[in-house]
Amino acid sequence: MPTQREPGDLLQGTLGILILKSLLLGPAHGYAISRWIEDATRDVLRIEEGSLYPALRRLEDRAWVTSEWGLSENNRRARFYTITAAGRKHLRDEATVWLRYSQAVTRVLRTDPAIA
Amino acid sequence: MPADVDDELAFHLEMRVERNIALGMSAAEARREAIERFGDVGSVRAALVDHDRRKHTTRQRAEYVADFVQDLKFGVRALRRSPAFTIAATLTLALGIGANTAIFSVVNAVVLRPLPYKQPDRLVTIGHGSTGEYLAVRDRLHAIADLAAWTPATHPVDIGGEAVRLNGAAITTNLLSLLGVSPIIGHGFMPTDGNYGNANVVLISHGFWQRAFAGASDVIGRKISIEGSSYTIVGVMPSSFHYPSDDVEYWQPIIVNPQNLGQVWGIAGRQLIGRLAANATLAQARAELQSVWPSLRRANPLWDPGPDYRAHTTVTPLQTELVGSARALLWMLFGATLLVLLIACVNVANLLLARAVMRERELAVRAALGGGRSRLVRQLVTESLVLAALGAVLGVMLGWLAVRGLVAAMPAGMPRADEISMSGAVLAFALAISIGTGLLFGLIPALRATRANGSHSSVAGGGRRATVGGSHLRISGALVIGEVALAVMLVTASLLLVRSFAALRAIEPGFETTHVVAARISVPDARFTGDTQGVLAFYQNVLDRAKALPGVRGAALVDHLPLAEPVWGIAARVQGQFEDFTHTLPMIDHMQMVTTGYFATMGIGVVRGRAFDLTDRGGAPPVAVVSQSLAKRFWPNGDAIGQRVGFPYASPWITIVGIVPDTKQDSLRDTSSATLYVPWAQASRRFNGELWLVARTTRDPAASGATIRRLVHDIDRAMPVSDVRTMDAVISDSVTKSRFTTLLVAAFALLALALGAVGIYGVMSYLVGERRREMGIRIALGASRASVMQLVLLRAAWLAGVGAAIGIAGAMVATRSLRQWLYGVSATDPATFLLVPVLFLAVAALASSAPALRATRADPAGTLREE
Repeated sequence: MPTQREPGDLLQGTLGILILKSLLLGPAHGYAISRWIEDATRDVLRIEEGSLYPALRRLEDRAWVTSEWGLSENNRRARFYTITAAGRKHLRDEATVWLRYSQAVTRVLRTDPAIA
Repeated sequence: MPADVDDELAFHLEMRVERNIALGMSAAEARREAIERFGDVGSVRAALVDHDRRKHTTRQRAEYVADFVQDLKFGVRALRRSPAFTIAATLTLALGIGANTAIFSVVNAVVLRPLPYKQPDRLVTIGHGSTGEYLAVRDRLHAIADLAAWTPATHPVDIGGEAVRLNGAAITTNLLSLLGVSPIIGHGFMPTDGNYGNANVVLISHGFWQRAFAGASDVIGRKISIEGSSYTIVGVMPSSFHYPSDDVEYWQPIIVNPQNLGQVWGIAGRQLIGRLAANATLAQARAELQSVWPSLRRANPLWDPGPDYRAHTTVTPLQTELVGSARALLWMLFGATLLVLLIACVNVANLLLARAVMRERELAVRAALGGGRSRLVRQLVTESLVLAALGAVLGVMLGWLAVRGLVAAMPAGMPRADEISMSGAVLAFALAISIGTGLLFGLIPALRATRANGSHSSVAGGGRRATVGGSHLRISGALVIGEVALAVMLVTASLLLVRSFAALRAIEPGFETTHVVAARISVPDARFTGDTQGVLAFYQNVLDRAKALPGVRGAALVDHLPLAEPVWGIAARVQGQFEDFTHTLPMIDHMQMVTTGYFATMGIGVVRGRAFDLTDRGGAPPVAVVSQSLAKRFWPNGDAIGQRVGFPYASPWITIVGIVPDTKQDSLRDTSSATLYVPWAQASRRFNGELWLVARTTRDPAASGATIRRLVHDIDRAMPVSDVRTMDAVISDSVTKSRFTTLLVAAFALLALALGAVGIYGVMSYLVGERRREMGIRIALGASRASVMQLVLLRAAWLAGVGAAIGIAGAMVATRSLRQWLYGVSATDPATFLLVPVLFLAVAALASSAPALRATRADPAGTLREE
């Protein structure tokens, strides 16, 4: 398993962070979250939209988000997710780790000899 | 939940489709693209549904536990707020559960628990017979895999110190392996141990081992003397082993000497116990046994007991034989206690209902706050379970005390009495009944209370409740009447028994009781047959020394002590009336051999003639003293003095020289006891190996007992002294059975009385609760508080009165079956039958006084405001 990374694995943890980040703008339903991710990543991270929902359940289990049924912008019944205080804290912690890690990797990759 | 999942996913897909169409795709294309982006809809849906479902159950469980804890706290708080109710309900339950636990302990130990032997259901008994019959039956029955025999054997046992009189059993060497029991130390009997001429060996009980040898591990090989013969200890039995009876201390092998036909066929009284063969049934064994008896008669022509021989001997399961008549009695008792428990439940249910009415407001508010009916019911049931738990704890403690009391008061001979205890099974039973009763008495009031609230929305007012609940009052009123009736019957019966017992104890036995000490002095058979003169000299020595003890005013010997053991009768010739001993002779109820000082020592005055004196020696003309009823029986119009009687067969005539009053011999209830007294010095050849010493003392009788023991052992340590008691104690012991019955019935009667009182209290509380407003209105309209109180008391008196009337009618019939237990009081004693209803009216007044007072406090102003 460790030798063969699937694109989904990268997303397992990352997707959670993306969702939490999207919710900083305010409560949103699943479709809105997927649209936000789509726009924010400019479609670079092609996530399978279906995987969004199990991820939301996992976040909810850990009390980082709560959910509630409500009406969508076009008056349809939809489930809205809201980030909690614990969710914000988690996002902050994860983001710090993530940024530090990605900066370190970027720095390594930029040193000579250049890759290509 | 699956619907929620579907809604959420459908919403997502539709939104995506709409956007795709807006971007210019055709409908079909938009749809395909949306699904492609989404991935595997089916598996995502399944994962979500599964997740939600699992989460739901977890949350539900947590909520349930939290609710329960909350209900528990709430219940405890609610109960603490009304201590009177809590105490009444807890005590009622504790009484019910305690009585049940106690009786179940006995039933479980005696009837339910299997005998502590290997495959106890295959063990059977086959009556009793001689050793010859035993051997013959053993070899001929194929349905019986193995057959053993035993005989009770009470002998003086000497363990190298002082001799004691011990109960033992002679058993065939296969008995232990047949029962599947082996010694904890040493080994059981070898088959050869029963052979004539082999060395004497003995097994001892655990208790004997502890007492006589302090549990020494090297007890095997030590010697004890039984009846003057030396026996080697080969094993110690487990403490749980008590076959054939609770008081057996040692087991010796039955010795069979096949050469001695007289011994083999002559001595009967061997009890036979066998194990059914692997595939044999009880019926087969019975049939086979019936065919064996005739062949036995043919095989032994010299020994022919006649054609009816063994017609009634059959094969019986051991457990049936052991428990026997106790079984029916115990099941009946158990039924009665279950009834008591049911009554207790009804009472508590009534109390809870009364309480629910008083808490109407509170419950309504709770319901209105969104509790929901099932939630509220759960809350009330939890509260009753808390009550049940309290009752159970207290009940088990009461039960434990009751078991101890029962065992202590139990008359001797109760089968398996040593096994009675509070066991795991009993505690499980107590737990089961308390949970069961908690649900039973909690559910119905809870359902009723919550329904009433739902339909009345009593938050606002609920004043109309004044007239509702009539049907319930009728039902619980009827139940209370039933309770009172039952209690009246039991109290009546127990009063009759108590009065009988008092009358029984008031009977004068005809002799002095407080200052007379008695002790049984036994002689080993071997000593007696070998040295008769020496034994007689020994007894004379004991008597002389006893008379010389400080504080002793008189002492005597007697062969059978009154009220302690059967005082046998004898067939006698009467000169001039029944002289021909080839014809049937009249039976004289009792005969006693006594030394000269007996009458003076026992305080039996001489009515006419004289008592025995020193001139009534061995060679002197034979004389006798008779009791008044004997004199009256044979010489109703003349004088018995100078008349002559004789034993059967050719023996010299005995001249009657004195008449004494009748004394109680077999029991205090003896109506006549024709007794023939003969002087020990002239009849000692009838001596059977035991005599009782009686001594009248001015000192403390208890201390005199120890003195007597020491005195005997100073002369000869091989003579066991046992049953040292004052005559008071002898009499008290002779009525243990009556005392036990009386105590048991009295305990049940008290229980019924207490439950009846709680029943009245409960139903009156309910009534007052229901009609609180009506009472308030009455008072507001000018009725005096006394008249309101009277209203309540009259209602209670009516319930008690009807119950008492039914109960008295029932008692009239039921006490008839008590007749055999009654003494000195009629089964329909008017005083008792008058006293009991009065007692119950008083109890009813007492039990309803608290609710009645509560009724007078009904607040007229508040009532009007509510209306």
